Amino acid sequence: MALSTRNFRFFQAIEDGHKTSHPGQRSAARDFEDTGANFMNLEFILNGRNQSVPDVPPHENLLHVLRDRLGMLGTKEGCGVGECGACTVLLDGEPVNSCLTNAWKAEGREVTTIEGLATNGRLHPLQEAFVEAGAIQCGFCTPGMILAAYALLKRTPNPDDDQIKTALEGNLCRCTGYKHIVEAVRLTARKAREGSVE
Amino acid sequence: MSRFVTARSLDGALDEVSHGARIIAGGTDFMIHVRRERLFGDEPSHAFVDVSRLEELNRLDLSSDLPFVGAAVTFRRLETSPEVRSLYGALAQCAATVGSVQIRTLATIGGNAANASPAADGVTALVALGARAKIVSPEGTRTERLEELITGPNRTNLSPEEIIVGFELDRSVRGTAQVFRKIGRRQAVVIARLNVAVCLGRDLSDPRVVVGSCFPSPRRLSAVEALLASGSPGPTLWKEAGLVASKEFVMVCGWRASASYKTPVTAALVTHALESAWEQVEVPDDHR
Repeated sequence: MALSTRNFRFFQAIEDGHKTSHPGQRSAARDFEDTGANFMNLEFILNGRNQSVPDVPPHENLLHVLRDRLGMLGTKEGCGVGECGACTVLLDGEPVNSCLTNAWKAEGREVTTIEGLATNGRLHPLQEAFVEAGAIQCGFCTPGMILAAYALLKRTPNPDDDQIKTALEGNLCRCTGYKHIVEAVRLTARKAREGSVE
Repeated sequence: MSRFVTARSLDGALDEVSHGARIIAGGTDFMIHVRRERLFGDEPSHAFVDVSRLEELNRLDLSSDLPFVGAAVTFRRLETSPEVRSLYGALAQCAATVGSVQIRTLATIGGNAANASPAADGVTALVALGARAKIVSPEGTRTERLEELITGPNRTNLSPEEIIVGFELDRSVRGTAQVFRKIGRRQAVVIARLNVAVCLGRDLSDPRVVVGSCFPSPRRLSAVEALLASGSPGPTLWKEAGLVASKEFVMVCGWRASASYKTPVTAALVTHALESAWEQVEVPDDHR
């Protein structure tokens, strides 16, 4: 079946996207030529450390800066339009879809990705609870789930089930059926209450 | 020249838009639009001006003589603010149904209005609350009712050089019983199939009923409001109001493919919202 011009451009665009979807391979120079733009350094705090990213186009989203420019591959691209939550990161401690966040909104602010939770080689209690409760199967949604839950527990240390479900309603999981995920968040809150984690 | 500018003053933002920059607030609709453009090979060549950090656009002052909600106030803030919940409950309830926590953290009430989707939850609530958009441009300031500012699906009469600063709300509906309801294919991250906002006072003198996602542009249902203002509160009136709402939908939009679903559901949704609002009138939340 012959492709229409519109469909051809669509598939071509997807292919181009795949070609440039590996860390460090995205070509800012190509963007520069296309738009005649004058890109600047984007500076923000990533997982507690100052980060500077050169030549970030004005229309770039935070997800692609994290994955393609900084190699932070824990942040996943699922739907790309804010439906699935796989790309969730924390911006100044609040959960956002990094696919919908213009990268320049992070300028001067704090970004936390899943890589920022473990300390000294030890998983965060929430990550441990996900393992313990069997809340992970394929793992693709897990970073977004954990960061959404992390933000909830910071605000509401003892959430009820409705609060947990509301906090996670923007995160889709196609494997676990959610039950174990909710249990993992409950478990983290309970352990913190009982003082069995620091 | 393609560049991203975070506006630090309203004058600075106006200067950028007068030179062709496109306005970005939360960006949750805008970034999807940019993504679509790029998928089809169109790299944006214009400048972006981010207005979300402007002080005036973040002002939330609902207790004053001129209640005001800034255009850059996020749905997350509207959802969690005790002031919004107690004084303009429909706005808080609608905010809690928008997208997910992640989207609500970014998305703004002004962006929701400017994007002008017929399914915009914020618009339905704002119109019920009598919102008048305060708009600035290099020429000055104007104020326009939101239902007149939005002229059709994703269309407004805003010029490219204008910025919505915020919305003035009616003082007369402050603290009345307010209900926002929404029907979608699932409970979260969903575009409304139908949404409704109602405001009822004890004497039914100034009722408000707005149904969204079924008219090309937002509107108060004047026939329903007139019926409520002249009727005697109770189940019969709420049911009749629902039927009048569904008739108005058919009258304005004709018998479209979705009408066989939307007609009975509009009637039921309006009736249900009025019942819930009247329960609040009879037993206010703080006495439950």
